[in-house]
Amino acid sequence: MEDKKSQQMETDGSFMSRVISVGFFGGLIWSLIAFLAYYLNFTKVGPALILAPWALGKWKNEWLGHLIGVVILALLSILVAIGYRFLLSKVKSMWAGILYGTVLWFIVFYVLHPIFPGLEPMNKIGKNTVVTTLCLFILYGLFIGMTISFEYSERYGTNNQKSS
Amino acid sequence: MAQKKAKIPISKKIEENEELLKKRLGIGETFDVGVRKLLLLKTKVQLYYCNGLCDTTYIIQIMREFMLMNNQHKSPHSVKEVIHNHITHEQVELTDNMDEAVDRLLSGLILIFVDGEDEVFIVDVRSYPGRNPEEPDTEKVVRGSRDGYTENIIINTALTRRRLRDERLRNEIVQVGERSKTDICISYLKDVADPGLIKLIKKEISTISIDGIPMADKTIEEYLVKQGFNPFPMARYTERPDVAVQHLLEGHVLVMVDTSPSVLITPTTYFHHVQHAEEFRQTPLTGAFERWFRFIGILAAIMLVPLWYLYVQDPHLLPKGLEFIGPNKHGHLPIFLQLLLAEVGIHLLRLAAIHTPNALATSMGLVAAVLIGQIAISVGVFVPEVILYSSVSAIGTFVTPSVELGLANDLFRILLLLLVAIFHVPGYVIGLTLFIIFIANMKNLNTPYLWPFMPFNAKALLTIIMRVAVPMTKMRPSILHPQNPKRTSN
Repeated sequence: MEDKKSQQMETDGSFMSRVISVGFFGGLIWSLIAFLAYYLNFTKVGPALILAPWALGKWKNEWLGHLIGVVILALLSILVAIGYRFLLSKVKSMWAGILYGTVLWFIVFYVLHPIFPGLEPMNKIGKNTVVTTLCLFILYGLFIGMTISFEYSERYGTNNQKSS
Repeated sequence: MAQKKAKIPISKKIEENEELLKKRLGIGETFDVGVRKLLLLKTKVQLYYCNGLCDTTYIIQIMREFMLMNNQHKSPHSVKEVIHNHITHEQVELTDNMDEAVDRLLSGLILIFVDGEDEVFIVDVRSYPGRNPEEPDTEKVVRGSRDGYTENIIINTALTRRRLRDERLRNEIVQVGERSKTDICISYLKDVADPGLIKLIKKEISTISIDGIPMADKTIEEYLVKQGFNPFPMARYTERPDVAVQHLLEGHVLVMVDTSPSVLITPTTYFHHVQHAEEFRQTPLTGAFERWFRFIGILAAIMLVPLWYLYVQDPHLLPKGLEFIGPNKHGHLPIFLQLLLAEVGIHLLRLAAIHTPNALATSMGLVAAVLIGQIAISVGVFVPEVILYSSVSAIGTFVTPSVELGLANDLFRILLLLLVAIFHVPGYVIGLTLFIIFIANMKNLNTPYLWPFMPFNAKALLTIIMRVAVPMTKMRPSILHPQNPKRTSN
């Protein structure tokens, strides 16, 4: 009995570390891709957006700012992944991840809009930026969502994965 | 199917058997099935064979032994026993089922009927026409073994077994096709492969109802993975026994189909299609380099041409320092049309190259390079940059180790080009997003297609990006649910 309990705790522990890793790498990969999209002029905002609330030197809008933005986003993304784990990890459909990404996008670009000075109003920012950032958030949400619900069903799911 | 029918017994009277076989097989009408009648120990004996599928020297040996035996035994009490003892071959079976006997006869075994007995001897003297193992054309390596699978399933299992003497390797054989009765072999390591997967594959194969499978593995694949209109390859093929055994050891299940040199590896993900045996023949670092170049090529095949066309449409989007990109003069045709024409040209060339004999291939290359490339530019049909980017993406297609994946990527590139032409940047971004969502959503025998990228698995992704040194890979890929996650016992 005790053995089972400790095994359960071990699974929980490794699951949490998996969630943290997917959050970190998800933030890293997708903000790097966002950086690339920024470089290719698909979007007017790059990862440096995260530095916008702070008055920093001019470097914050150059490549250094973006790289630091990537690192910060990767770390913040861990929280996003943990949030997904507690909210939606039981949902198997991949739409949950896509929805999660879309909601995140709305939070960042509408709810948190006032804290980013210099960010143009959403109706003037241009459709390229809107579409690119929205797609990036959707893919990011899908990345987090798919991974966490897959890991969840691998660990806690009933063993009927072969039935489909 | 055959098992469900009522069993047709073998008659004790040899004439009745002869009559039945003559009617069923059309001996006399069809020339490739024959019978040799003998009188041994005062008993009628008939030997049925199928021309060309059996080795005549063995049959001569057996018959010579029979004839010698005639003088040694004087009226024995059991002719059947004596004959059994004198069949000079190790693979002798007895059956009392006429259907089974006929199946065996038509696969190249010989039947020996003895008058007064309700059982028939089946002797395996098969020798199929076929080639010797050769290096497969599509998977060449600079160094390494040069043998490849052939069209003969027995040779194929032997080539596998030769590399894997494990007592736990299972080669299960089943027959598919109501008329063709093609042999299909399911190979796996009993203590490694996921039992659920094996069960699933066996179930899928046993439910196949078809008359024949001359297209062998491809047909089986379509039954196994439910392809539909999805262009992406759901199964990986290999003609190399070393690659096949590597996958067996990882916990994959192989499906071999008689008459095809390609072996089906299941389950597979997108990233199985972008790896090549050559990378494992080089040092880890150079192997990783090769792999990165290959990835760059594959990405370029998908994304480069649409991206370039995007900038041709909206030159103000070009990043700083890259302003020189884009045609200086636009030529006589719209760029979009030029790109489509180049695409059509390259695909025509590819199709032509498949069945152009080697002797003509050089001249075809010349025609393609000089006439189409050079002269199309001077005539003014193409802008030079169109040729450049189309060629790069064509090379990217050729560098894709899996032909099927290369073609699917081509298809997607053209779609993306169309989206860019209509919607510009949003078309490009949304196109790529839908592409990723689409392939992430694919499942292949319950395996996510984009694993280990989505769902993400850092360690497994590292082995794909890095070509980790073999002594470092101690674990099997977790996606296969191996019963033994560790490769060795210690």
